[in-house]
Amino acid sequence: MPLNIDYLQILLHMLNFVILAGGLTFILYNPVNRFLEQRRDQYAEAEKRNRKAAEENEKLRTEYEQKLQDSDIEIAERKKIAEKEWADISARYIREAKEKASAIILAAEEEAEDRKEHILESAQTEIGELVVTATQKLLSDTVTPERNSALYDEFIRLAEGTVSEKRTKHGKK
Amino acid sequence: MERDKVKTKEKSRKYIFLTVWLALIALILVGILLLWPPGEKHETIKEVMKDGVLHEHNKMSFFGLEVNPGLISAYMVTVILLIAAVLIRIFAIPKFKTVPGKFQSVIEMLVGFFSDMAHANSHHKPRFVGAYIFSAGVYIFTSTLFELLGIQWMTTSGVSMALPAPLSDINAAIAMGVMSYTIILGAGMICGGFRGALGVLKDFSLPISMSFRLFGALLSGLLVTELVYYYVSLSFVLPVIVGVLFTLIHAVVQTYVLATLVSIFYGEAVEPKSKKVKNKKAKR
Repeated sequence: MPLNIDYLQILLHMLNFVILAGGLTFILYNPVNRFLEQRRDQYAEAEKRNRKAAEENEKLRTEYEQKLQDSDIEIAERKKIAEKEWADISARYIREAKEKASAIILAAEEEAEDRKEHILESAQTEIGELVVTATQKLLSDTVTPERNSALYDEFIRLAEGTVSEKRTKHGKK
Repeated sequence: MERDKVKTKEKSRKYIFLTVWLALIALILVGILLLWPPGEKHETIKEVMKDGVLHEHNKMSFFGLEVNPGLISAYMVTVILLIAAVLIRIFAIPKFKTVPGKFQSVIEMLVGFFSDMAHANSHHKPRFVGAYIFSAGVYIFTSTLFELLGIQWMTTSGVSMALPAPLSDINAAIAMGVMSYTIILGAGMICGGFRGALGVLKDFSLPISMSFRLFGALLSGLLVTELVYYYVSLSFVLPVIVGVLFTLIHAVVQTYVLATLVSIFYGEAVEPKSKKVKNKKAKR
Protein backbone atom coordinates (compact mmCIF):
# COMPACT_ATOMS: atom_id res chain seq x y z
CA MET A 1 0.00 0.00 0.00
CA PRO A 2 1.22 3.51 -0.71
CA LEU A 3 2.38 5.57 2.29
CA ASN A 4 2.68 2.31 4.24
CA ILE A 5 -1.03 2.24 4.92
CA ASP A 6 -1.93 -1.00 6.67
CA TYR A 7 -5.59 -1.92 7.25
CA LEU A 8 -4.77 -4.20 10.14
CA GLN A 9 -2.89 -1.45 11.90
CA ILE A 10 -5.73 0.97 11.22
CA LEU A 11 -8.08 -1.49 12.92
CA LEU A 12 -5.65 -1.89 15.81
CA HIS A 13 -5.55 1.88 16.19
CA MET A 14 -9.35 1.93 16.10
CA LEU A 15 -9.54 -0.77 18.76
CA ASN A 16 -7.10 1.20 20.88
CA PHE A 17 -9.15 4.36 20.56
CA VAL A 18 -12.46 2.62 21.21
CA ILE A 19 -11.04 1.13 24.42
CA LEU A 20 -9.67 4.52 25.43
CA ALA A 21 -12.85 6.42 24.53
CA GLY A 22 -15.07 3.96 26.42
CA GLY A 23 -12.79 3.96 29.45
CA LEU A 24 -12.42 7.72 29.57
CA THR A 25 -16.15 8.24 29.08
CA PHE A 26 -17.21 5.88 31.86
CA ILE A 27 -14.37 6.54 34.28
CA LEU A 28 -13.84 10.28 33.87
CA TYR A 29 -16.17 12.15 31.53
CA ASN A 30 -19.54 10.90 32.78
CA PRO A 31 -18.86 11.23 36.55
CA VAL A 32 -17.35 14.70 36.17
CA ASN A 33 -20.10 15.78 33.79
CA ARG A 34 -22.72 14.41 36.21
CA PHE A 35 -21.11 16.35 39.04
CA LEU A 36 -21.07 19.52 36.93
CA GLU A 37 -24.71 19.05 35.99
CA GLN A 38 -25.70 18.44 39.60
CA ARG A 39 -23.88 21.56 40.68
CA ARG A 40 -25.45 23.52 37.80
CA ASP A 41 -28.86 22.26 38.90
CA GLN A 42 -28.08 23.21 42.50
CA TYR A 43 -27.12 26.71 41.41
CA ALA A 44 -30.20 26.94 39.20
CA GLU A 45 -32.34 25.78 42.12
CA ALA A 46 -30.68 28.26 44.46
CA GLU A 47 -31.15 31.02 41.90
CA LYS A 48 -34.79 30.07 41.52
CA ARG A 49 -35.23 30.12 45.31
CA ASN A 50 -33.48 33.46 45.54
CA ARG A 51 -35.59 34.90 42.77
CA LYS A 52 -38.73 33.64 44.47
CA ALA A 53 -37.57 35.05 47.80
CA ALA A 54 -36.76 38.34 46.11
CA GLU A 55 -40.21 38.42 44.54
CA GLU A 56 -41.81 37.67 47.93
CA ASN A 57 -39.69 40.36 49.54
CA GLU A 58 -40.73 42.81 46.85
CA LYS A 59 -44.35 41.86 47.41
CA LEU A 60 -43.99 42.29 51.17
CA ARG A 61 -42.22 45.60 50.68
CA THR A 62 -45.05 46.82 48.47
CA GLU A 63 -47.57 45.64 51.05
CA TYR A 64 -45.69 47.37 53.86
CA GLU A 65 -45.37 50.54 51.85
CA GLN A 66 -49.11 50.43 51.17
CA LYS A 67 -49.77 49.82 54.85
CA LEU A 68 -47.47 52.68 55.77
CA GLN A 69 -49.28 54.95 53.36
CA ASP A 70 -52.65 53.83 54.77
CA SER A 71 -51.47 54.34 58.33
CA ASP A 72 -50.11 57.80 57.41
CA ILE A 73 -53.50 58.70 56.02
CA GLU A 74 -55.22 57.28 59.11
CA ILE A 75 -52.84 59.12 61.40
CA ALA A 76 -53.52 62.37 59.55
CA GLU A 77 -57.28 61.82 59.84
CA ARG A 78 -57.05 60.97 63.53
CA LYS A 79 -54.83 63.99 64.06
CA LYS A 80 -57.43 66.18 62.42
CA ILE A 81 -60.18 64.72 64.62
CA ALA A 82 -58.04 65.08 67.75
CA GLU A 83 -57.19 68.67 66.88
CA LYS A 84 -60.86 69.43 66.39
CA GLU A 85 -61.77 67.72 69.67
CA TRP A 86 -58.97 69.56 71.41
CA ALA A 87 -60.14 72.86 69.97
CA ASP A 88 -63.71 72.15 71.15
CA ILE A 89 -62.56 71.15 74.64
CA SER A 90 -60.27 74.14 75.00
CA ALA A 91 -63.03 76.46 73.78
CA ARG A 92 -65.43 74.92 76.28
CA TYR A 93 -62.87 75.25 79.10
CA ILE A 94 -62.21 78.86 78.19
CA ARG A 95 -65.91 79.60 78.10
CA GLU A 96 -66.50 77.91 81.44
CA ALA A 97 -63.51 79.65 82.95
CA LYS A 98 -64.77 82.98 81.74
CA GLU A 99 -68.20 82.27 83.22
CA LYS A 100 -66.67 81.20 86.52
CA ALA A 101 -64.42 84.23 86.55
CA SER A 102 -67.30 86.62 85.94
CA ALA A 103 -69.34 84.92 88.74
CA ILE A 104 -66.40 85.16 91.10
CA ILE A 105 -65.88 88.82 90.24
CA LEU A 106 -69.57 89.55 90.78
CA ALA A 107 -69.56 87.77 94.14
CA ALA A 108 -66.38 89.55 95.13
CA GLU A 109 -67.85 92.92 94.19
CA GLU A 110 -70.97 92.20 96.27
CA GLU A 111 -68.90 91.09 99.22
CA ALA A 112 -66.68 94.12 98.90
CA GLU A 113 -69.74 96.39 98.88
CA ASP A 114 -71.14 94.68 102.00
CA ARG A 115 -67.81 94.97 103.77
CA LYS A 116 -67.57 98.62 102.80
CA GLU A 117 -70.96 99.34 104.26
CA HIS A 118 -70.17 97.43 107.43
CA ILE A 119 -66.89 99.27 107.79
CA LEU A 120 -68.58 102.61 107.23
CA GLU A 121 -71.21 101.77 109.85
CA SER A 122 -68.72 100.74 112.45
CA ALA A 123 -66.54 103.75 111.61
CA GLN A 124 -69.43 106.10 112.07
CA THR A 125 -70.27 104.58 115.50
CA GLU A 126 -66.65 104.81 116.55
CA ILE A 127 -66.37 108.37 115.25
CA GLY A 128 -69.53 109.29 117.15
CA GLU A 129 -68.20 107.79 120.37
CA LEU A 130 -64.89 109.54 119.87
CA VAL A 131 -66.61 112.86 119.25
CA VAL A 132 -68.72 112.39 122.39
CA THR A 133 -65.73 111.47 124.43
CA ALA A 134 -63.72 114.36 123.09
CA THR A 135 -66.56 116.80 123.61
CA GLN A 136 -67.09 115.48 127.13
CA LYS A 137 -63.46 116.07 127.84
CA LEU A 138 -63.55 119.55 126.35
CA LEU A 139 -66.73 120.62 128.00
CA SER A 140 -66.53 118.84 131.37
CA ASP A 141 -65.07 121.86 133.08
CA THR A 142 -67.08 124.66 131.44
CA VAL A 143 -70.52 123.17 130.82
CA THR A 144 -73.23 123.45 133.38
CA PRO A 145 -75.75 120.67 134.04
CA GLU A 146 -78.39 122.60 132.06
CA ARG A 147 -76.10 123.20 129.22
CA ASN A 148 -75.07 119.58 129.38
CA SER A 149 -78.59 118.22 129.07
CA ALA A 150 -79.30 120.56 126.15
CA LEU A 151 -76.23 119.24 124.31
CA TYR A 152 -77.32 115.61 124.87
CA ASP A 153 -80.70 116.35 123.45
CA GLU A 154 -79.19 117.97 120.39
CA PHE A 155 -76.86 115.03 119.85
CA ILE A 156 -79.63 112.47 120.08
CA ARG A 157 -81.69 114.37 117.58
CA LEU A 158 -78.82 114.61 115.12
CA ALA A 159 -78.02 110.91 115.53
CA GLU A 160 -81.57 109.86 114.91
CA GLY A 161 -81.71 111.97 111.77
CA THR A 162 -78.55 110.37 110.34
CA VAL A 163 -79.73 106.78 111.01
CA SER A 164 -83.13 107.35 109.37
CA GLU A 165 -81.39 108.87 106.31
CA LYS A 166 -79.15 105.78 105.90
CA ARG A 167 -82.03 103.38 106.24
CA THR A 168 -83.88 105.21 103.51
CA LYS A 169 -80.83 104.89 101.20
CA HIS A 170 -80.40 101.21 101.96
CA GLY A 171 -84.08 100.48 101.35
CA LYS A 172 -83.83 102.07 97.90
CA LYS A 173 -81.01 99.73 96.90
CA MET B 1 28.17 45.58 61.36
CA GLU B 2 31.63 45.40 59.84
CA ARG B 3 31.61 41.60 60.10
CA ASP B 4 28.26 41.36 58.31
CA LYS B 5 29.53 43.53 55.46
CA VAL B 6 32.63 41.37 55.09
CA LYS B 7 30.50 38.19 55.07
CA THR B 8 28.14 39.57 52.40
CA LYS B 9 31.08 40.57 50.22
CA GLU B 10 32.58 37.11 50.54
CA LYS B 11 29.29 35.48 49.58
CA SER B 12 28.83 37.64 46.49
CA ARG B 13 32.41 36.88 45.43
CA LYS B 14 31.69 33.17 45.78
CA TYR B 15 28.59 33.44 43.61
CA ILE B 16 30.42 35.41 40.94
CA PHE B 17 33.23 32.87 40.88
CA LEU B 18 30.79 29.95 40.60
CA THR B 19 28.86 31.59 37.76
CA VAL B 20 31.96 32.41 35.79
CA TRP B 21 33.32 28.91 36.33
CA LEU B 22 30.14 27.18 35.20
CA ALA B 23 29.76 29.48 32.19
CA LEU B 24 33.32 28.75 31.18
CA ILE B 25 32.76 24.99 31.39
CA ALA B 26 29.55 25.27 29.40
CA LEU B 27 31.23 27.35 26.68
CA ILE B 28 34.12 24.90 26.37
CA LEU B 29 31.67 21.96 26.19
CA VAL B 30 29.65 23.67 23.46
CA GLY B 31 32.84 24.32 21.51
CA ILE B 32 33.96 20.69 21.88
CA LEU B 33 30.57 19.35 20.79
CA LEU B 34 30.41 21.68 17.81
CA LEU B 35 33.84 20.53 16.63
CA TRP B 36 33.24 16.85 17.50
CA PRO B 37 33.53 14.69 14.39
CA PRO B 38 30.17 13.14 13.48
CA GLY B 39 29.90 9.57 14.69
CA GLU B 40 28.78 6.64 12.67
CA LYS B 41 25.11 6.93 11.90
CA HIS B 42 23.04 3.96 11.02
CA GLU B 43 20.99 6.05 8.65
CA THR B 44 21.43 9.24 6.68
CA ILE B 45 19.12 12.17 7.40
CA LYS B 46 17.26 11.34 4.20
CA GLU B 47 16.63 7.81 5.39
CA VAL B 48 15.62 9.01 8.86
CA MET B 49 13.11 11.48 7.44
CA LYS B 50 11.75 8.94 4.95
CA ASP B 51 11.38 6.38 7.70
CA GLY B 52 9.72 9.01 9.88
CA VAL B 53 7.06 9.36 7.19
CA LEU B 54 6.67 5.81 5.95
CA HIS B 55 7.98 3.62 8.79
CA GLU B 56 9.27 1.09 6.28
CA HIS B 57 12.37 -0.08 8.15
CA ASN B 58 11.98 0.54 11.87
CA LYS B 59 9.20 -1.84 12.85
CA MET B 60 8.32 -2.94 16.34
CA SER B 61 6.85 -6.13 17.66
CA PHE B 62 3.26 -6.02 18.92
CA PHE B 63 2.33 -9.48 20.23
CA GLY B 64 4.51 -11.00 17.51
CA LEU B 65 3.14 -8.73 14.80
CA GLU B 66 5.47 -6.25 13.09
CA VAL B 67 3.86 -2.84 13.43
CA ASN B 68 4.81 0.82 13.13
CA PRO B 69 6.20 2.42 16.31
CA GLY B 70 3.15 4.66 16.41
CA LEU B 71 0.92 1.74 17.37
CA ILE B 72 3.07 0.91 20.39
CA SER B 73 2.93 4.59 21.36
CA ALA B 74 -0.85 4.61 20.93
CA TYR B 75 -1.38 1.66 23.28
CA MET B 76 1.07 3.11 25.74
CA VAL B 77 -0.77 6.43 25.73
CA THR B 78 -4.05 4.58 26.26
CA VAL B 79 -2.63 2.67 29.23
CA ILE B 80 -1.24 5.87 30.76
CA LEU B 81 -4.51 7.73 30.25
CA LEU B 82 -6.68 4.95 31.62
CA ILE B 83 -4.48 4.55 34.71
CA ALA B 84 -4.62 8.31 35.26
CA ALA B 85 -8.41 8.28 34.78
CA VAL B 86 -8.86 5.43 37.26
CA LEU B 87 -6.69 7.20 39.83
CA ILE B 88 -8.64 10.43 39.37
CA ARG B 89 -11.92 8.50 39.59
CA ILE B 90 -10.91 6.75 42.83
CA PHE B 91 -9.02 9.47 44.65
CA ALA B 92 -10.15 12.83 43.28
CA ILE B 93 -13.74 12.69 42.05
CA PRO B 94 -15.31 11.47 45.34
CA LYS B 95 -13.67 14.45 47.07
CA PHE B 96 -15.05 17.00 44.62
CA LYS B 97 -16.48 20.05 46.36
CA THR B 98 -18.99 22.66 45.30
CA VAL B 99 -16.24 25.27 45.48
CA PRO B 100 -13.45 23.59 43.53
CA GLY B 101 -9.76 23.43 44.38
CA LYS B 102 -6.96 23.78 41.83
CA PHE B 103 -6.91 20.18 40.59
CA GLN B 104 -10.69 19.93 40.53
CA SER B 105 -10.82 23.17 38.55
CA VAL B 106 -8.46 21.72 35.92
CA ILE B 107 -10.54 18.54 35.57
CA GLU B 108 -13.79 20.50 35.48
CA MET B 109 -12.36 22.91 32.93
CA LEU B 110 -11.22 20.02 30.73
CA VAL B 111 -14.56 18.21 30.80
CA GLY B 112 -16.55 21.44 30.72
CA PHE B 113 -14.64 22.70 27.66
CA PHE B 114 -15.58 19.69 25.51
CA SER B 115 -19.06 19.41 26.96
CA ASP B 116 -19.76 23.09 26.27
CA MET B 117 -18.32 22.77 22.77
CA ALA B 118 -20.63 19.82 22.07
CA HIS B 119 -23.65 21.71 23.42
CA ALA B 120 -22.74 24.85 21.47
CA ASN B 121 -22.29 23.10 18.11
CA SER B 122 -24.86 20.38 18.42
CA HIS B 123 -28.24 21.29 19.83
CA HIS B 124 -29.55 17.74 19.50
CA LYS B 125 -28.10 14.81 21.44
CA PRO B 126 -24.87 16.55 22.43
CA ARG B 127 -23.95 14.13 25.23
CA PHE B 128 -22.59 11.44 22.93
CA VAL B 129 -20.51 13.76 20.80
CA GLY B 130 -19.31 15.49 23.99
CA ALA B 131 -17.91 12.21 25.29
CA TYR B 132 -16.38 11.43 21.89
CA ILE B 133 -14.63 14.76 21.39
CA PHE B 134 -13.46 14.67 25.01
CA SER B 135 -11.82 11.29 24.43
CA ALA B 136 -10.45 12.29 21.03
CA GLY B 137 -9.18 15.61 22.37
CA VAL B 138 -7.46 14.06 25.38
CA TYR B 139 -5.97 11.35 23.16
CA ILE B 140 -4.65 13.75 20.51
CA PHE B 141 -3.25 16.18 23.10
CA THR B 142 -1.58 13.53 25.23
CA SER B 143 -0.29 11.46 22.32
CA THR B 144 1.23 14.54 20.71
CA LEU B 145 3.02 15.44 23.93
CA PHE B 146 4.01 11.79 24.32
CA GLU B 147 6.89 12.16 21.85
CA LEU B 148 8.52 14.63 24.27
CA LEU B 149 9.07 11.80 26.74
CA GLY B 150 11.42 10.10 24.30
CA ILE B 151 10.72 6.62 25.65
CA GLN B 152 13.17 4.22 24.08
CA TRP B 153 11.84 1.02 22.51
CA MET B 154 13.59 -1.75 20.65
CA THR B 155 12.83 -2.22 16.97
CA THR B 156 12.68 -5.64 15.39
CA SER B 157 16.06 -4.94 13.85
CA GLY B 158 17.50 -4.52 17.35
CA VAL B 159 17.96 -0.75 17.19
CA SER B 160 16.65 1.34 20.05
CA MET B 161 14.56 4.32 19.04
CA ALA B 162 12.40 6.90 20.76
CA LEU B 163 8.69 6.23 20.48
CA PRO B 164 7.05 8.84 18.23
CA ALA B 165 3.66 10.51 18.57
CA PRO B 166 1.03 7.90 17.59
CA LEU B 167 -0.69 10.26 15.17
CA SER B 168 2.51 10.79 13.21
CA ASP B 169 1.72 7.30 11.91
CA ILE B 170 -0.64 7.66 8.97
CA ASN B 171 -2.57 4.57 10.07
CA ALA B 172 -3.45 6.23 13.40
CA ALA B 173 -4.50 9.43 11.65
CA ILE B 174 -6.65 7.48 9.17
CA ALA B 175 -8.20 5.51 12.04
CA MET B 176 -9.07 8.73 13.85
CA GLY B 177 -10.49 10.38 10.71
CA VAL B 178 -12.52 7.32 9.69
CA MET B 179 -13.89 6.85 13.23
CA SER B 180 -14.92 10.49 13.46
CA TYR B 181 -16.65 10.26 10.10
CA THR B 182 -18.32 7.00 11.09
CA ILE B 183 -19.63 8.61 14.25
CA ILE B 184 -21.04 11.54 12.27
CA LEU B 185 -22.50 9.23 9.59
CA GLY B 186 -24.03 6.91 12.21
CA ALA B 187 -25.57 9.83 14.10
CA GLY B 188 -26.95 11.21 10.82
CA MET B 189 -28.51 7.84 9.98
CA ILE B 190 -29.99 7.34 13.45
CA CYS B 191 -31.43 10.84 13.72
CA GLY B 192 -32.26 11.64 10.09
CA GLY B 193 -32.74 8.21 8.53
CA PHE B 194 -31.75 7.78 4.91
CA ARG B 195 -31.94 11.51 4.22
CA GLY B 196 -29.65 12.22 7.15
CA ALA B 197 -27.15 9.65 5.91
CA LEU B 198 -27.23 11.20 2.43
CA GLY B 199 -26.54 14.59 3.95
CA VAL B 200 -23.42 13.23 5.61
CA LEU B 201 -22.33 11.15 2.63
CA LYS B 202 -22.02 14.24 0.45
CA ASP B 203 -19.16 15.32 2.75
CA PHE B 204 -17.18 12.21 1.81
CA SER B 205 -13.99 14.27 1.75
CA LEU B 206 -14.30 14.77 5.49
CA PRO B 207 -12.49 11.61 6.66
CA ILE B 208 -9.68 12.22 4.18
CA SER B 209 -9.27 15.84 5.20
CA MET B 210 -9.44 14.95 8.90
CA SER B 211 -6.93 12.13 8.57
CA PHE B 212 -4.41 13.99 6.47
CA ARG B 213 -4.73 17.19 8.48
CA LEU B 214 -3.84 15.28 11.63
CA PHE B 215 -1.15 13.28 9.90
CA GLY B 216 0.39 16.30 8.23
CA ALA B 217 0.41 18.40 11.37
CA LEU B 218 1.90 15.69 13.55
CA LEU B 219 4.31 14.51 10.90
CA SER B 220 5.70 18.00 10.37
CA GLY B 221 6.45 18.17 14.10
CA LEU B 222 8.09 14.77 13.96
CA LEU B 223 10.24 15.67 10.95
CA VAL B 224 11.40 18.93 12.46
CA THR B 225 12.29 17.13 15.70
CA GLU B 226 14.12 14.37 13.79
CA LEU B 227 16.03 16.96 11.81
CA VAL B 228 17.03 18.88 14.90
CA TYR B 229 18.10 15.83 16.86
CA TYR B 230 20.03 14.34 13.94
CA TYR B 231 22.71 17.00 14.25
CA VAL B 232 24.45 17.27 17.62
CA SER B 233 25.19 20.93 17.09
CA LEU B 234 21.48 21.70 16.92
CA SER B 235 20.76 19.81 20.13
CA PHE B 236 21.30 22.81 22.43
CA VAL B 237 18.52 25.23 23.33
CA LEU B 238 16.84 24.75 19.94
CA PRO B 239 15.01 21.52 20.90
CA VAL B 240 13.41 23.40 23.79
CA ILE B 241 11.76 25.76 21.32
CA VAL B 242 11.24 23.35 18.45
CA GLY B 243 10.39 20.29 20.50
CA VAL B 244 8.39 21.61 23.40
CA LEU B 245 6.76 24.73 22.03
CA PHE B 246 6.00 23.39 18.56
CA THR B 247 4.71 20.12 19.97
CA LEU B 248 2.62 21.92 22.55
CA ILE B 249 1.12 24.23 19.93
CA HIS B 250 0.50 21.27 17.63
CA ALA B 251 -1.20 19.40 20.44
CA VAL B 252 -3.50 22.27 21.35
CA VAL B 253 -4.32 23.27 17.77
CA GLN B 254 -4.99 19.74 16.49
CA THR B 255 -7.11 18.89 19.52
CA TYR B 256 -9.17 22.02 19.07
CA VAL B 257 -9.53 21.60 15.30
CA LEU B 258 -10.65 17.95 15.42
CA ALA B 259 -13.02 18.51 18.33
CA THR B 260 -14.58 21.55 16.66
CA LEU B 261 -14.94 19.86 13.27
CA VAL B 262 -16.47 16.70 14.69
CA SER B 263 -18.93 18.60 16.88
CA ILE B 264 -19.98 20.92 14.05
CA PHE B 265 -20.49 18.11 11.51
CA TYR B 266 -22.23 15.98 14.14
CA GLY B 267 -24.50 18.93 14.99
CA GLU B 268 -25.41 19.31 11.30
CA ALA B 269 -26.01 15.57 10.93
CA VAL B 270 -28.33 15.19 13.93
CA GLU B 271 -30.21 18.43 13.33
CA PRO B 272 -33.86 17.60 12.61
CA LYS B 273 -34.60 18.23 8.95
CA SER B 274 -37.56 20.51 8.42
CA LYS B 275 -40.07 19.16 5.90
CA LYS B 276 -40.51 21.21 2.77
CA VAL B 277 -43.81 22.97 2.76
CA LYS B 278 -45.36 23.08 -0.65
CA ASN B 279 -46.78 26.42 -1.48
CA LYS B 280 -50.26 25.78 -2.68
CA LYS B 281 -52.29 28.43 -4.23
CA ALA B 282 -54.98 29.56 -1.96
CA LYS B 283 -58.39 28.56 -3.12
CA ARG B 284 -60.52 31.40 -4.08
